[in-house]
Amino acid sequence: MTVLEKSIVKERRVNLFFFLGSLFLVLAALALVKNLLISFLLAFVIYYLLAPAVNLFERRGLSRAWATAVPFLFVTLTLVILVQNFFPDLVTQVDGLKVELPRYMETAVQALGRIESKTASLLEGIYPINIQGQIAPKALDFAKSVLEKSPEYISQSLTIFFLTPFLAFFMLVDGRDFVRKILNLVPNHYFELALHLNYQIGAQMGGFIRARLLECTLVGLVVWVGLLILNFPYALVLGIFAGLVVIIPYIGPFLGLAPILLIHLSNGGSNSELLGLLLVYGIAQLIDIALIVPFIVAKIVNLHPVTVVLAVIVGSQTMGVLGMIICIPIFSTLKVTVQAIYKHLTDFRA
Amino acid sequence: MIPQMWENVFGGRDKKKTLRDRLLENILFQDLTYNELRLVEKIVNVRQYHPGENIFRQGEVGVGMYIVISGTVNIYVEEMEAVSQKLVTAHITQLKACDFFGELALVESESRRSASATAHEDCQVIGFFKPDLIEIIERSPSAGVKILMRLGEVLGTRLRQTTNRITEMKKEYKVR
Repeated sequence: MTVLEKSIVKERRVNLFFFLGSLFLVLAALALVKNLLISFLLAFVIYYLLAPAVNLFERRGLSRAWATAVPFLFVTLTLVILVQNFFPDLVTQVDGLKVELPRYMETAVQALGRIESKTASLLEGIYPINIQGQIAPKALDFAKSVLEKSPEYISQSLTIFFLTPFLAFFMLVDGRDFVRKILNLVPNHYFELALHLNYQIGAQMGGFIRARLLECTLVGLVVWVGLLILNFPYALVLGIFAGLVVIIPYIGPFLGLAPILLIHLSNGGSNSELLGLLLVYGIAQLIDIALIVPFIVAKIVNLHPVTVVLAVIVGSQTMGVLGMIICIPIFSTLKVTVQAIYKHLTDFRA
Repeated sequence: MIPQMWENVFGGRDKKKTLRDRLLENILFQDLTYNELRLVEKIVNVRQYHPGENIFRQGEVGVGMYIVISGTVNIYVEEMEAVSQKLVTAHITQLKACDFFGELALVESESRRSASATAHEDCQVIGFFKPDLIEIIERSPSAGVKILMRLGEVLGTRLRQTTNRITEMKKEYKVR
């Protein structure tokens, strides 16, 4: 190896060291500073959601900062109006649910008991099961934790609430320049590859996040409006819940329907009400399957059912309910990234 | 024939110029306004290469073009010799400041590089890649259209030169 070749290799290593070092520092800060990871993830969601609008305003001649400020102001105003109109209702409904929860859970336990007695008679002597003893306490604890920990989530969310828009704003204004500076540290040999990879991941994630958010909003809205029409209690909470859990593929639709059916059973609702509820939920899922999924099918990252179950278990074990909801976007991000890296490693080089 | 194809038929020669000047004298960016150039200036990537360092290699997937700011770049092609079936390296041309290469990769999807580019001496190049072009189109469509029109012109000129050369070669072949 000549002196020149050695100096090229040395420079490559130094650049690579600084690039990987910067990445490590960012990841370490995200992992160690409380609430920073969630704030960062949510800021990414806002970034991908608002980026098309910011680009649109920039195309109209506004500077990048103003082009970012305009959609931010619009979203803030919309949120203020939504909070003013719906937050009192939401609090009342959550409080009401807290009071009624033991009754709903009792109904669930009784229903489980009936299933258990029927199944036990079928499996007698083959496999002893104890659904009531094993699942019921866990289900009760889970449901209680969702509602009782909500003030804790809200206090946590206050930090996130202020940090997220701050991060998102600067991601939109300076994010590209920041990424470009980081990419400049990539050695020449990998530069084209890194730049293209960054672009591909960004494009796929943007489509994925916008598609998922559209899906959540539409499903949530349809369930909420449908339950309002049926005059069903806790329509707002149940609509928000159905919208949130639709992120979890395969399991989400059933998870969203479960509390609705439980409340219906506990209140001793009529068969026509049950039919109405199933119709509302069915319409929400139909809109999801028939309109949203085909329209944005290329942009949605499909995860294998086993991966989904594993991701949900990992999410719930590490971060509880919040983990269950955010684990799918995180796993999907990982899948997109790994796929893009693999494709490049196999196809990019001569 | 090939050195002619690689030659920059659009640019001049001057070494002491700013990045904006360099961009402005390149055919792709010469129609841009001051503000559009400022945007492009922020987006493009300036890279340094040492002598002997590969800028890209033949057969790799290419995502963009390079404009030489300073130094010289050698273009090579590796070919299988018809008779001996051996892999031989042929030096095609040497590019200097203001020359540009690899522009086909801006429009082709996952195109493979048709030749290798290696720094002959310490050189500085502007890398302008497909993601950069897409960002320009998203943020300033008018600048994007101007660049694309000029890119079409460059590719058209290269195609016409190639066609003319092939016609000449056919004539020469017939005479023999």
